[in-house]
Order: sequence, then structure tokens, then C-alpha cells
Amino acid sequence: MICILAMIVFGILGIFSATHRKIALEAFDCVFRRVTLRKCETGLDKRLKSQITGKLMRKNPTVARFTFRHFEGISWFFTVIFIVSIIYTGIGGYNYYLYGNCNGPNEDGFCIFDPLGSNSKVSTAQTEASCSVEPQTKESLSLENVNLESFPKIDQGAENDVVFIGCYACPYTRDSYPTIKKLAERQDVNFIFAHLPVKEDTRFISNILNCINEVDSKKFVEFNDELFSTDVSVLRNEDYLLKVVEKIGLDKEAIRQCSDTERIQNLTRLQISEIQKTGIYGTPTVFINGDVVVGPKPYRVYKRLLK
Amino acid sequence: MNINQIKKDFPIYNQKINGMIPIYMDSACVTLKPNQVIKAINKYYKEFPACAGRSGHTYGRKVTEEINHARKIMQDFIRAKRKEEIVFTRNTTEGINLIANSLNLKSGDTVLTSDKEHNSNLIPFQLLQEKGIIHKIFNFGDIEDFKSKLTEDVKLVSTVFTSNLDGTSQPIEEMIRLAHKDKSLILVDGAQAVPHKEINVKKLDADFLVFSGHKMLGPSGTGVLYGKLHLLEELKPFLVGGDTVKNSTYTGYEPEDIPERFEAGLQNYAGIIGLAEAAEYLKKIGMKNIEKHEYKLNQYISGKLIDMGITLLGDTDPSKRGGIISFNIKGVHHHEVAGILNESSNIMIRSGMHCVHSWFNKHGLDGSARISLYLYNTKEECDILIEEIRKIKKFTE
Repeated sequence: MICILAMIVFGILGIFSATHRKIALEAFDCVFRRVTLRKCETGLDKRLKSQITGKLMRKNPTVARFTFRHFEGISWFFTVIFIVSIIYTGIGGYNYYLYGNCNGPNEDGFCIFDPLGSNSKVSTAQTEASCSVEPQTKESLSLENVNLESFPKIDQGAENDVVFIGCYACPYTRDSYPTIKKLAERQDVNFIFAHLPVKEDTRFISNILNCINEVDSKKFVEFNDELFSTDVSVLRNEDYLLKVVEKIGLDKEAIRQCSDTERIQNLTRLQISEIQKTGIYGTPTVFINGDVVVGPKPYRVYKRLLK
Repeated sequence: MNINQIKKDFPIYNQKINGMIPIYMDSACVTLKPNQVIKAINKYYKEFPACAGRSGHTYGRKVTEEINHARKIMQDFIRAKRKEEIVFTRNTTEGINLIANSLNLKSGDTVLTSDKEHNSNLIPFQLLQEKGIIHKIFNFGDIEDFKSKLTEDVKLVSTVFTSNLDGTSQPIEEMIRLAHKDKSLILVDGAQAVPHKEINVKKLDADFLVFSGHKMLGPSGTGVLYGKLHLLEELKPFLVGGDTVKNSTYTGYEPEDIPERFEAGLQNYAGIIGLAEAAEYLKKIGMKNIEKHEYKLNQYISGKLIDMGITLLGDTDPSKRGGIISFNIKGVHHHEVAGILNESSNIMIRSGMHCVHSWFNKHGLDGSARISLYLYNTKEECDILIEEIRKIKKFTE
């Protein structure tokens, strides 16, 4: 049994080292012989057994004795553990490729392929306006009964619907924006941007955004490009935002006046309440054809969900 | 014989592996080398790295002189009549092959070997069977069986003096006498005898004696073939070329004198000089002292192992086993025994069939663990060995 373990371990090490490659070949020969009901002639099993037992004997003869007597069982145990680990590593790799995380869709546990968890980080979407009794979970995320009519959108009559919920001031939304933008620019995607002002003091940006959308429904993309690429510290400065409005070719005074109206503020409130119906717990959250992706993910993860 | 003083001559003991000084007990394979031998080898390379017997310049003359001196030392070491009877070889195997291929054996002639020969003293004669030479086998150490197989057609007896498998020696003097009575020649494989006991070839009356330098503190790639001069003169060399001829034409050659006739090509001069130094070193300590020392340690280890219920191969009487103890522990494979000893305490012993596969196959065994002692081993080392073997033995209890 130790030969199977040796074959796998030294096989992997053998990719980098010729010495280990030789042992891996020995182990392979041993495994092959065993499989074909012949005796292992390389002596590798005995060599490994004696090396391990001998090293243990230096430290503790009782442990060495136990190891020697139960070597086959111990080898089986480690082989099974090793194989299970390899299977889980494979699943982890598969999950990472598909979902950007080893642990599956929208999981945020530790992932060896993304040790800093940068693909799973979210900004908590608990706005001061929200007062859900139950904490929201990934299972409850859905666009069912959510009215998306009022949000800025690019409707190309395409077969894919992408809804991007994020906030201008949230670091992970900002991280994900270039990827999302690449997605939004595709010809086969209808894109909706839902701004969730996680902090009350950024709610006025939603008002401005809604006004821009009313004036020219295509201008919100330019507005987003500016806001997601600028320093986060200036976002709470209305003058700066109005300068952006001007920069994208709109009348800043008209937009300012519009954003102060009760109608627009009600619209923003309505939008927030619609967003909360999705069960959102963190930004960015992206719905693609009904599937949900939470956190900034690599482009391939989003692309896979397109039709 | 002051072992601690002797140990100081061996630089290997300045080394530590895992914080421990190595305990080397595989001298039947290769022995450690003292400083004196290393120095002698270095001297050749540093001071006169030239060829012997050819060039007349200062270095050439010096090497020739050193090689002649080395031959004289080896002559004295085995008490040969003349230094011309000493042929330098690469090892015992080469010596045996030289005889097997140079002796004028004809189809129908028989070669007799024991059933406990090293492959070196078995395979060359198996190959000769292709030329119609008959190969017979007698039971190792069994004089009656030897006598019964020693028929008229036996032209050569080639047998081991001391077995490398278990250290048991054959009554070689009697066997030589019987062989000569039968008008057979006898070649003695002295690889495990010459380094461990006093050998007097004149007294022994062996026709040929072969041994290796690396088993007697000498460098690897060195060995000696001793042959009675008149027999060497009758041999037809099978390795020829450089330095084996005095003159040659396109159609013939005039062979060199003996022993150079058998030493084809440029020789391992540094090794030969080192071998002579090793022989001098052993002589200084005294072969009788070495034999006595090994017996004492063997007796001690054997007694302890037998007390533990461990099976020894060969004669249970250590006096008949020189410095070798071959054993098996029930339930622990011999490779595992050797491996564990190496890992746990840096005790280096050999495991396997020790190149005597034929004997193990005959007896249905797959090998043994083999301790082989020499002059540098101490009782303290033996105590560590015994204690470790005791622990290993407990694995199965």
C-alpha cells in the first residue's frame, strides 16, 4: 500500500526532480506488479518501511514498534486520506474555475487557489434603511418579485440578462467593476445597474444617477466609469459629482435640481426596497440569467453563466 | 591492539550523521580506509603521476620503483616465494575470470566449485560450459562430498576459503591436499580470508589465490592474483594489449615477462600503492591480533543474538565464522532490519543475498542480514548494535 502512496507523492515530486522520478518509477513498478498479482521486487516498500520505523525508533521505540506492526494499516489510512484529499483538491480546483472559489458557488471559506479570498470578499449590504429581521443568506438571493423597471439599463433585446447590484463607495464593487463592464459591453447582454447606497450619506448619488437616467438613459455608463475610477474619498462631494455630470455632457444644474425633488427621492427609496427584496447581503451581487454570483469574480465565472 | 588508537587512523570516524558517529559493520563488502592509505594514494597523484614500466623519466622511474615495491610487499603479505607470483588485478572477480579464461581447459574437463560460491566464482564457470567444460558442485565444507566429486576429470577446483555469506571457512589445507592428490589444480577465493587471517601461500600450497584490496583497507579497483610461477607461465593471457608484450609485428607478438604479461593496459598505480600501504598497515597491527579481535566480537554478538532466539546462518560456533554474522529475525525482513539499524543508529550492515543467490535459492531463503566486523569495530559498538536488534526483535513480540 505504501507503494501506491509513494507512487503518487514521488510522481508529483518527480515532475520537478529526477531523483524523485526514479523512486516514482520504482513505486509504479511495485504497484504494477502487485496489481498483476506478482511480488514487488524493488524492495521500495521495505526500504520506506524501515526508514520510517528507524527514524521513529530514534525518538520513541514504542511508536516505532506500533508503526512497524501496523504499517500496512497505517499506509492504507494515509493512502485513503491522500486520495480523498486529492479528490477534494480536484473538486476545489473545479469549483475555483467555475465559481471563483474552491468551496462552491458564493461560498466564502478558505480557498488555497485564492488564499486572500479576494474573489469572495463583499461589502455588507445592510443599509441603514434596511431592517430585515432575519439575516440574509445566499440561499435567499433571488430576483423573483423584484421590479427592475426603474433602474438604469442597456436593453439590446439580447438573450442574456445581467443585473449588477453594487455601490459606488464599496471597495469590492469597485474591484469588480472593470470585469462587469466587460460583461456589460457584450452584444449578447442586457445590462441593469442597481445602485445600493450602503451608507446613507451616499444615497444622494442614487438620486443623481436616476436623474441622469431620466435625461439620457445611455449616459449612466459614462457616469459609472467616472465614479468607479475616481478616488472613493470624493464620492460624498456633491460638487465633484456635478462636475462629472457636466463632463459627461449634461446640465449639472438641471440634474442637481432634479435630484432634490421628492419624486426622485421616492424613486431611490423604492429602488432600495426593490433591491432588498433580492435578499442581498453583500455587494457586489450579480444576477446572470437568474443565477447569482456574490463577490468580485474572474470574468470566466460570469461568462460561464451566459447563454 | 588499541582499537581507539586504530579508530583515529580512519577519517570516517570524524564524521557524524544525525549527530551520531557511524557504526560501520559492512566490511565484508568494502572496508574503511585509514589515513595512511589515503595519503599513499594522494602521494602518487601529487608527486609522481606517471606510468610504470614504460617511460624512463624521473616520474616514470619512480612509479616503476613504487609498483615493484608494492609487489614485494604483497609477496611478503601472503608469504609468496617470489614477487613475480603476484599479479595485480582490479579485484577478486577479475582474478577468477583470468584463471577461468587463461587456463588451458578443454571440452570434457571438469571444474569443481562449492554450493556457496560468490557469483564471481560461479558464473565464469557456467560460461565455460558453453565450450564443453563440465561444472560440478560439492557441498560447502563437506570433505566427504568434496572427495566424492573429486574425480579424475576434475582439472580445476575453484572454491572459497571463507564464505562471504556466513563467514564459515572450509578446511582449505586439506582440500588443497586432496585436490593435488587428484592432480587437480586449485584456485582459492581468499576475498574474505586474506584480510582477516594470516595467510602463507607456501604452506597452504594453493595453486592460485585471489583477493581484493577494497576488503583489506585498500582502495577499490585493486586486487591480487597469486599463482605459482610455473603455472602462471603456462597460462595464456586473455586480456592483452598495452604493457603485456615486449614486441609485436603485424602477425605476432612476444609476450612480456610474468607478471606484467597479465596486467593489460595502464594499471591503477595509485590503487596498487594504496593497497601495499594497507597491507603494511595490517601487518603492523598483526593479522593474528585482527583475527583474535574479530573472533572476540563475533563470539559476543553471536551469543547475545542466540540468547534472543535469533537464527544465525552457518556454524553457530563463532570461531568458525571469522568476522561475519549472518542472521534473520522472524517477522522482520532482512532489508527492514538493515534499514532500521541504519536509520535509527547509523549502523551500517548489509542485507540481501550477498551475491550468493544460488545458495539462497537452493535453500528457499530470500536473503539475510549480515554483520561483518573488522579491526576498527569495538565492543561498545556491538552493544549498541545488540540493543537495537533487541528493539527490532520486540516488534514481532
